Amino acid sequence: MAISLSCLPLVAMLLPIFTHLAEAATVTYDFNITWVLANPDGAFVRPTIGINNQWPPPIMRVTKGDTVIVNVENSLGNQTTTLHFHGLYMNGSTHMDGPYHVTQCGIAPGVKFKYNFTVDQPGTYWYHSHAKGQYPDGLRAPLIVDDPDSPFKGMYDEEYVLSVSDWYHDQMATLIPHFINRRNPKGAEPVPNAALLNDTQGLQVPIQAGKTYLFHMVNMGAFAGQYIWFEEHNISIIEVDGIYTEPANAERIYLTAAQRCSFLLTAKNDTNSNFPFVSSMDTTLFDKIPEGLNWNVSGWLLYDQSKPLPDAAIILEDSFQEFDDYTLVPYDKEPLFPDPDQSITLEVVMSNLGDGANYAFFNNISYAPPIVPTLYTVMTAGATAANTQVYGDYTHSFVLGKDEVIEIVVNNNDPGKHPFHLHGHAFQAVWRSDRDAGNFNETALVSVSDFPAAPMRRDTFAVHPNGNIVLRFKADNPGVWLFHCHIEWHVDSGLIATMVEAPLELQRTLSIPQDHYDSCVVDGTPVKGNAAGNIINLLDLTGQNAPPGPLPEGFTTRGAVALGFSILSAFTSIAVISWYGLADI
Amino acid sequence: MTVNVYSVPVFFIVFRETLEVSIIVAVLLAFLKQTLNGPNRDVAVYRRLVRQVWMGVAIGVLISLIIAGAFIGVFYKLGRNHWAPTEYFWEGSFALLASIIITIMGAALLRISKMQEKWRVKLAKAMEAKAVTGGSSGGRFKRWCEKYAMFILPLVTVLREGIEAVVFIAGVSFSASPTSIPLPVVIGTVAGSIIGYIIYKGGASAKLQYFLVISTCLLYLVGAGLFSKAVWYFEAQKWNNEVGGDAAEVGVGAGSYDITKSVWHLNVSSPYIKGGGGWGIFNGILGWQNSATYGSVISYNIYWIFIIGLFLSMRYNEVKGHWPMMGGKKVAGETRPQDVVINITASDSTGSDIADHETRAKTVAKVCTIDL
Repeated sequence: MAISLSCLPLVAMLLPIFTHLAEAATVTYDFNITWVLANPDGAFVRPTIGINNQWPPPIMRVTKGDTVIVNVENSLGNQTTTLHFHGLYMNGSTHMDGPYHVTQCGIAPGVKFKYNFTVDQPGTYWYHSHAKGQYPDGLRAPLIVDDPDSPFKGMYDEEYVLSVSDWYHDQMATLIPHFINRRNPKGAEPVPNAALLNDTQGLQVPIQAGKTYLFHMVNMGAFAGQYIWFEEHNISIIEVDGIYTEPANAERIYLTAAQRCSFLLTAKNDTNSNFPFVSSMDTTLFDKIPEGLNWNVSGWLLYDQSKPLPDAAIILEDSFQEFDDYTLVPYDKEPLFPDPDQSITLEVVMSNLGDGANYAFFNNISYAPPIVPTLYTVMTAGATAANTQVYGDYTHSFVLGKDEVIEIVVNNNDPGKHPFHLHGHAFQAVWRSDRDAGNFNETALVSVSDFPAAPMRRDTFAVHPNGNIVLRFKADNPGVWLFHCHIEWHVDSGLIATMVEAPLELQRTLSIPQDHYDSCVVDGTPVKGNAAGNIINLLDLTGQNAPPGPLPEGFTTRGAVALGFSILSAFTSIAVISWYGLADI
Repeated sequence: MTVNVYSVPVFFIVFRETLEVSIIVAVLLAFLKQTLNGPNRDVAVYRRLVRQVWMGVAIGVLISLIIAGAFIGVFYKLGRNHWAPTEYFWEGSFALLASIIITIMGAALLRISKMQEKWRVKLAKAMEAKAVTGGSSGGRFKRWCEKYAMFILPLVTVLREGIEAVVFIAGVSFSASPTSIPLPVVIGTVAGSIIGYIIYKGGASAKLQYFLVISTCLLYLVGAGLFSKAVWYFEAQKWNNEVGGDAAEVGVGAGSYDITKSVWHLNVSSPYIKGGGGWGIFNGILGWQNSATYGSVISYNIYWIFIIGLFLSMRYNEVKGHWPMMGGKKVAGETRPQDVVINITASDSTGSDIADHETRAKTVAKVCTIDL
């Protein structure tokens, strides 16, 4: 910029004012949620959930410090919806976080709902529906928070937003009843039909020789993790899930569902050819690979439009050496949290319940949403809000004290990889075991000295099959925050726990706007009382939502009666036969 | 290094199947010996029918081996999935067929001693009947069945048991080494045959009437079990298809059965896992299922209720001369064959020696057409 030196002091004075003014912007979005027909993989036209009659939904882009207002109107007609802004801490605004019957009622068809929050964290995020397994139908898009004070400012010339996603041809309303069904006793998740880059295929990203690009990548999928690589280009990771990191060089990265990653990619100095880049779905979790499934999607770094677009090279999955995000070092080097005030151990178990279907459990609880949204129970339960019982037997709630250091140990008793996500926080990923390591046992195998001094942080972290992870965070954000696997199928089958953080503080400081309560009137959801809606006896949970009862073991009354009757018939018949046989004629 | 030469699951499978065949063959042979090789012997007919029984067994074994060979060949080429969609359907059909045959034969067996003469004559007549000309094809088929009943029942039984044995052994043998299969097959066959022989020996020399009652009860227990199993197999096949073949992989736990149709389910005592052990024998003789459905339980009880009704009606018919709820159809002047035969034998004691009535019976046979 050409400024004469004499103006410099004036500009220097004004600059803070201008940046301060810039920080205080309010960005408003009007989102009318509608059905839109779309065909992103070119193979199948299907109804998708879009915004303002467009699909893919728009990318939200704000600057750190902005206030964001999202006016949602549900014009779907046949489904309830909510919006969750994944990765945003919602400090002081837990009621804007979005999960259905956790921090709000559902937004029923025809209802209007206003989200209003301030964003104080830079990075790559995304927003998506958080109601009843809805977002894989299309209601998801990236959300970028620009940072004028980024430590990497000036290290890149241009930015791109790149989303990857799995894609289904069928609607969730069809897939979910087939998934949670006695005819699917092993809980085989539906296999996606395609993979998408920026909700399309055959993406071409224009690249100029010699420039450095900042890519914001989001995995907006429902299920599949994605291996991502750019042929003949290395990348330098500088941010994951909104946390800046020391630049880390990588050839290939792995993003589970819901994870984000920003990296710098330096273009080559010549424009002799174009280079493919690939996102390949992790098929290890797929129950069966149907004939004709292409689990890869590729795009091109387009150096020169006139040059051909080469096919991506086939690489065997066994030789994937993807970057291990556990080794990242956060840029601010926040030190490891000391011994936790509360340690929560959750074991991932998949098992069948009395309707014959396969459900997901943390320990022995499979989540069922409460009748009264958990946050509203916090607000109306008085002193009892500190008693986990008031939140019901199936929300798997834990009450966290303000500013306590909380540790969550997840023991994965399932031969599948699971990405675990915590709302309201980025946690320290203190430990991740190899696969088949069994349960975490601090005293026997792993000691505190094995934990990194400045552990990597993010909000979505994967646990290996039959392995374990340890996460730590500080409960400095009063609110009701879900902790769950971000494979949407497992959300539907109950792999969710609830962190009720500083409930009494919330009662003092939080005020929920009227339009939130109004949205509850439409479908008759009560807004006071415990998980069963009981306002008189807060510890009486009769009538609460519950998953199906357990499978009967052995003989029930019915079985014993049936067997007894059968034996009786046999004996009676034998008596009659003998009588007949011995009778004199 | 120990080589596994004895696969216990294979032993139980073979023992069970052989036992079922042996019971039926032993009862038939003992019955034949009693009626045709006793004091009132007709050696020619006896030998012919005995040969029929063994022919049925032999041809059944042969066909089973052929099917087994084909099955194993196809199986290794195309994989198990080819068979799975219809496996239980075949099992169920064979079980149903065997159950029906047993039901019909059992009812007849009990009246043997009373109608020994009639039976003997009937059998002889059926033997002597050459190519039957005229008559409806249904009638011809019926007569053919009567003539070769002693052949058909063992044949169907052996076919069923043989195929079942092959299917189960194939299923089990993946976890067993090839060296562990031949020995238990031999021992299982021998063990089952020994029990069959004991039944035969016991049956052939016991007082006929008691032998017949006991063996008929046993046969009907097997028949009831088969009927229930047929329904169970059909339901299991439907479930396997709904789940997409997963049910077998789930073993015996949740998902291996349809919870909405289940009356009881035990995770132990399965007649199918690892050869089934003792429960397999329980299943073979009595139709025991560790995972019973409404269909299998209700059909079991319906079978018995039907049998009770049948036998009560048959007795009523014998005593009153007509079936219950149908008026007596006696026309004046006509004597019904049964009445004649019954009257003849009623004056004798219920023994097996009616040689002095031979002449009279033969006369009667010429006069009346004996029809059952």
